[in-house]
Amino acid sequence: MAQVVTPRRLKIAGGVLGAVLLVFIGYAAGWLTPRLSTPGESSPEAGFARDMSEHHAQAVEMGMIAYQKASQPEIRTLGGDIALTQQGQIGVMQTWLKDWGLGPNSSRPPMAWMRDGDQAVKGNLMPGMATREEIAMLRAATGKDVDIRFLQYMLRHHLGGVHMAQEVLKLDPGPEVRELAETMIRNQSGEIQVLRTMLGKLGATPLN
Amino acid sequence: MSTGDVRRPSVNKLSAKAVAADGPKPESDELDADEADAAAPAPAPAPKPKTSQPKVATKSSGSRPGGRPPAGRGPAKSGGGKGRKPVTPVKVSQGRNWGPIAMFAGAGLVAVLIIGFGAFQLIKQANQPPWQERAAGIEGISNYLESNPDWFVYDPAVGNHKSGVLTYPSSPPVGGVHNDYWQNCMGDVYPAEIPKEQATHSMEHGAVWIAYHPDLPKDQVDELAGKVRDRGFMLMSPYPGLDKPISVQAWGYQLKVDNAGDGRIDEFIDALRQNATREPQATCSGGITDPGKTPLDLVPPAQPGG
Repeated sequence: MAQVVTPRRLKIAGGVLGAVLLVFIGYAAGWLTPRLSTPGESSPEAGFARDMSEHHAQAVEMGMIAYQKASQPEIRTLGGDIALTQQGQIGVMQTWLKDWGLGPNSSRPPMAWMRDGDQAVKGNLMPGMATREEIAMLRAATGKDVDIRFLQYMLRHHLGGVHMAQEVLKLDPGPEVRELAETMIRNQSGEIQVLRTMLGKLGATPLN
Repeated sequence: MSTGDVRRPSVNKLSAKAVAADGPKPESDELDADEADAAAPAPAPAPKPKTSQPKVATKSSGSRPGGRPPAGRGPAKSGGGKGRKPVTPVKVSQGRNWGPIAMFAGAGLVAVLIIGFGAFQLIKQANQPPWQERAAGIEGISNYLESNPDWFVYDPAVGNHKSGVLTYPSSPPVGGVHNDYWQNCMGDVYPAEIPKEQATHSMEHGAVWIAYHPDLPKDQVDELAGKVRDRGFMLMSPYPGLDKPISVQAWGYQLKVDNAGDGRIDEFIDALRQNATREPQATCSGGITDPGKTPLDLVPPAQPGG
């Protein structure tokens, strides 16, 4: 049978093809949008997630030492609280990186995402982090010495962490990063007061 | 639609003569007539074709003001019927359907732009291929997960932990059964030998372990330490009996090099640290830092360190 192509059929065919094309475009746009709007390899968001994970990991290390060895129960509790909270936040940040299609490692130096970040690091140490030697001293300490060292190191660590969170907020990060950074600032600022008070009760002072 | 119908438009800008001279293929009469019509502005109405919907045709042509000579798609379709008698030229050409055509063109253009832009962005971002690919691209790397998968299979009766000194098929080990304790790997630079059974547990957690021959010159040891110290998921120790000056390993992977300045060490770390792991999100802290190469669970007053 001969196909009679009338304008009407042409219109229908055009309409159908046009509709298919529109659906395809809609799908393509929906597929691409999240990929185009997620942070990239060298974004502040990715840098923050990677470096703050690393920074948090040391808080977990110190918190667990205090949880096991501090002489005062409230300091053991505080150590456990900090360790669990920060380990949970590491999980959140690592999930971001996965969702963004990025790895946990960056070939850029630590803090490269931050303004003047190169001046904020000493080797691989980010702001407020304890050296391996200090961690070894904390681990080797006993009695009240554990309490004081933990409070001092943790106070300095939190100050550095709050600073990093404030810096990422200046870079106008995406909503999830903004929310977590604000949470960190709020909670760690509160704990900073607690740490200061506890240090005072022990007759000790913050480092430098 | 026959292919002839589809192809025809491509020549419709030519004059009728040229088209005719080009001698389009088989359905010559009808085709030529069509093209002639197409090229001629405002042709006179012609007898209705034998189509079943003359009304539509009329309406359609009526709705197109002016009957401009076509610029885009061809005059369509006088009906590619082979058996039909060539009647007087059909006037459908003036009713070119600009609506669908414009929509096609516009939508197609938008689609191409979106896809092209998206692809460009994705390619630009994909400067970091998956870690497995990056690892595979390191010259001289051994992937034992691929070559010796049996090393990483546990006896179900035992599980993945075993106490005491263990033997491994590679030196240093790259995975397999290990001690309960792990060696702390928070950027710890160990000055002396550590229990390989504990370091293997660290690698299960995602650590990269740099082992070096005790004779490695001090400046090279220092260079290696700079890559490790204070960096999570990293640890380093001398390894007596090593068959090469330096051996870098992660769970399932190993790279042996002669010099601390070898750029492949950094490539190895970038690709595999935290990625090559059997236990994602496990910590490197809470491990053993005690000196000595004897597994801690064999040390008499066994005391969990940390």
